[in-house]
Amino acid sequence: MFGTSEMEINLGPQHPSTHGVLRVKLSLDGERILDAKPIIGYLHRGCEKLGESRAFPQAIVYTDRMDYVAAVNENIVYVEAVERLLGVEVPPRAQYMRVILSEFQRIASHLVWLATHALDLGAMSVFLYCFREREQILDLFEGYCGARLTTNAVRIGGMYEDFPEGWVEEARRFLEILPARLDEYHKLLTKNRIWLERTREVGVIAGDVALDYGVTGPCLRASGVAYDSRKAIPYAAYREFEFDIPLGTRGDTYDRYLVRMEEMRQSRRIILQALDRLPDGEIRGKTPRRIRPPKGEVYHVNEGPRGELGVYLVSDGTDNAYRCRFRSPCFVNLQALPELCRGHLVADVVAVIGTLDIVLGCIDR
Amino acid sequence: MSETVLKSVVVPALQIALVVAVLLGCVAYLVLLERKIIAFMQVRLGPRRVGPHGLLQPVADILKLLLKEDILPARADRLVFYLAPVILLLPALVAFAVIPFSGTPVRVLGVEVRPWITDINVGVLFLLAISSLGVYGIVMAGWASNSKYPLLGALRSAAQMVSYEIPLGLSVISILMLAQTASLVGIVRAQAEDGSWFLFWMPYPQIVGLFLYFVSAIAETNRAPFDLPEAETELVAGFHTEYSGMKFAFFFLAEYANMILVACIVTVLFLGGWLPITLGIPGLRGALSNLLPFWGDAGAALTGLLWFGIKVLVVLYLYLWIRATFPRYRYDQLMRLGWKWLIPLGLAHLVVTGIVLLAAH
Amino acid sequence: MLQMARTKDGFLKRLFLVELGAGLWVTLKHQFRPHVTQEYPAERPELRPRFRGMPRLRDHPEVEGPLCVACNQCAIACPDSCITVIAESRPGGKGKQPRQFYIDYERCCVCGLCVDPCPTKPITAIYMSHDFELAKLERDQLMTDMAGLYEGHERKAYER
Repeated sequence: MFGTSEMEINLGPQHPSTHGVLRVKLSLDGERILDAKPIIGYLHRGCEKLGESRAFPQAIVYTDRMDYVAAVNENIVYVEAVERLLGVEVPPRAQYMRVILSEFQRIASHLVWLATHALDLGAMSVFLYCFREREQILDLFEGYCGARLTTNAVRIGGMYEDFPEGWVEEARRFLEILPARLDEYHKLLTKNRIWLERTREVGVIAGDVALDYGVTGPCLRASGVAYDSRKAIPYAAYREFEFDIPLGTRGDTYDRYLVRMEEMRQSRRIILQALDRLPDGEIRGKTPRRIRPPKGEVYHVNEGPRGELGVYLVSDGTDNAYRCRFRSPCFVNLQALPELCRGHLVADVVAVIGTLDIVLGCIDR
Repeated sequence: MSETVLKSVVVPALQIALVVAVLLGCVAYLVLLERKIIAFMQVRLGPRRVGPHGLLQPVADILKLLLKEDILPARADRLVFYLAPVILLLPALVAFAVIPFSGTPVRVLGVEVRPWITDINVGVLFLLAISSLGVYGIVMAGWASNSKYPLLGALRSAAQMVSYEIPLGLSVISILMLAQTASLVGIVRAQAEDGSWFLFWMPYPQIVGLFLYFVSAIAETNRAPFDLPEAETELVAGFHTEYSGMKFAFFFLAEYANMILVACIVTVLFLGGWLPITLGIPGLRGALSNLLPFWGDAGAALTGLLWFGIKVLVVLYLYLWIRATFPRYRYDQLMRLGWKWLIPLGLAHLVVTGIVLLAAH
Repeated sequence: MLQMARTKDGFLKRLFLVELGAGLWVTLKHQFRPHVTQEYPAERPELRPRFRGMPRLRDHPEVEGPLCVACNQCAIACPDSCITVIAESRPGGKGKQPRQFYIDYERCCVCGLCVDPCPTKPITAIYMSHDFELAKLERDQLMTDMAGLYEGHERKAYER
């Protein structure tokens, strides 16, 4: 006599918690989610096509703006791909500098993730505390390359300039206060019963299912798969540093939270080692005046804060790339959204989107 | 004018006018206070531009809301739509009729004025009944909006409010048992006689009762961490989606007026009303109950008002502190907390209070 | 590998809401810390020396005449094609100087790639200034010519 039917509603594209312009079409049965289809493309700017019509050094500017929260990592993956095509040797000091900036960017990106995730779930003070710490990192970036967000910090063959006076000391001062601040976030969230209820057993994905979807980064590591590009395919100077990779067991939102919090500590460990052992020397290797890599293709991989950042560059011997394809980690991770949301309530969609840590600039390019 | 008319019509009318005016002013400034205090907890400044330290911000907010366009959704039930905010706000204001703000009556121009509008001998019952009427306003708002999301939000809000009435009532019953009266003035006087606030009542301090009442009250007033029905980051935007302008302002006035009401009730029931903080300390029994002795009765009344005000502010601070710190419960977790945890806790608390009372006599 | 532990507090700690109290203590402590708000525009931000504001032109402090040699390298390096240089010969014959120099501030993405190839080192003719307050009422006002690049855009002071 009474039938039930599915209800379809839209989350976004303008919504306070979709981390950008993401539209999710939810199919609901009452309050349970049957399916969640993400619809993207609202922030597409044609970065890959632009990469084909700009010279190699000019295209670095567009990589800043793809994943705007992890600009340095995007810069570095592109520049290293070009360097592989060219066969250019990067001096050790430049490699160490790249590692230091990469890890600072990782901490900054995880702070943004924590701030927005906590804010979506109602803990509004964590948002401001995280941004206060992130301000200090952005000040460091401003001191180094002049820009806080769209850093454009690397050049082909090495680095843009050396660290300015007092930069290393300022970095050390920040790293000294960081553990206490991370403890504060832990006190506010980690054992808080409300937080536990909102994040435990929400958005569970098993390790093999995650691998099938191609999920990488902290989302994969929280499901128990120990894969980190910094250890598996080391780039820059990562071979020379000692650090641990945090792993989760259950693959739910809480595990992803724990993994990312620990990653911030491990990043701090790497930076301290790099600052202690920073070699002297030049910061730019021998590069030709005109960047014209020989014909060839390369796929280069970095570990971004969100997962495996990849660049597939095809060069046809001219000034511009023939094809410049970016493997965006959030794009691939977002595929798992229906899997994570199925069976949960509507209020959990917000938690799941927050835990996947997506940045629409990276997804849409 | 005859004495009775003066006593029963003019004086209460003036009292009502004073209380409503002061209350609405307090509600407006509570909004500012909330923004400033939460801002300070988040190492930032709150509103600062409108008036020194943002003190004219409530004026700006009210002006803005008055000047906004009044929207009526298509095919919405006009009467119910307009009536809903009123029905939500009025009980919050009417409940202040029984709250005693101070202890000592004062003679003004030959007429004895008591620092409460009225003191009925079922004051607590009156409060519980009146605050339950607010649920009607929410359901009416959701239904009259003629839109499925406000309707769902309103029903969830209403269900939340109704569920949390039970632990609320249970914690209040324990207080009634200790005070042996349901009149609010009588409850404070019982605390004065017992020599301690009911919060610190020996041998069984009513801490659990206060915790129960306060948590239930937070859920009743739809505040964090129980504010899922009206949180901005959630999908369903809540029962006040379709409202704009002054009607929307009424919803917020009602929410903050309810907050102040809860703070006043907590103060009267658990924290000793107008009694000074030195009540429970032996030897200092009457100290600090009149900080202006040269004014006699008026001094005692003002001091009582001061103590009352301080306690209300402490409870309000607690509200804001909790909002700034904790994440939000999901709706089903919220209902589970109320039904499966708070009600058994309330019953257990009631039984223990009863046993202690029986043993003490 | 570092296995993350999913611990919860013990029963007694949870009964007495210890972790909620710890969280409340953190927010309370912050109540009394100084704020980190910078009250712009009353407080101007302290910019680092390398801050990348809009590109501008400058001359050598000691040498006479325009420093820029109109080599057009900055225009070639710019990813957004927002620089246009119109050259003329220097009086006295040696080399070129710009007759007109346009930078379209509407398109400039403030990347700093124009400064790298500038040949007049160590003081480059084109440099990233500390200008960032550029609000205009019309789009054409953002196309900056040589005079504007030397002087910078007028920054209208905001009183309150």
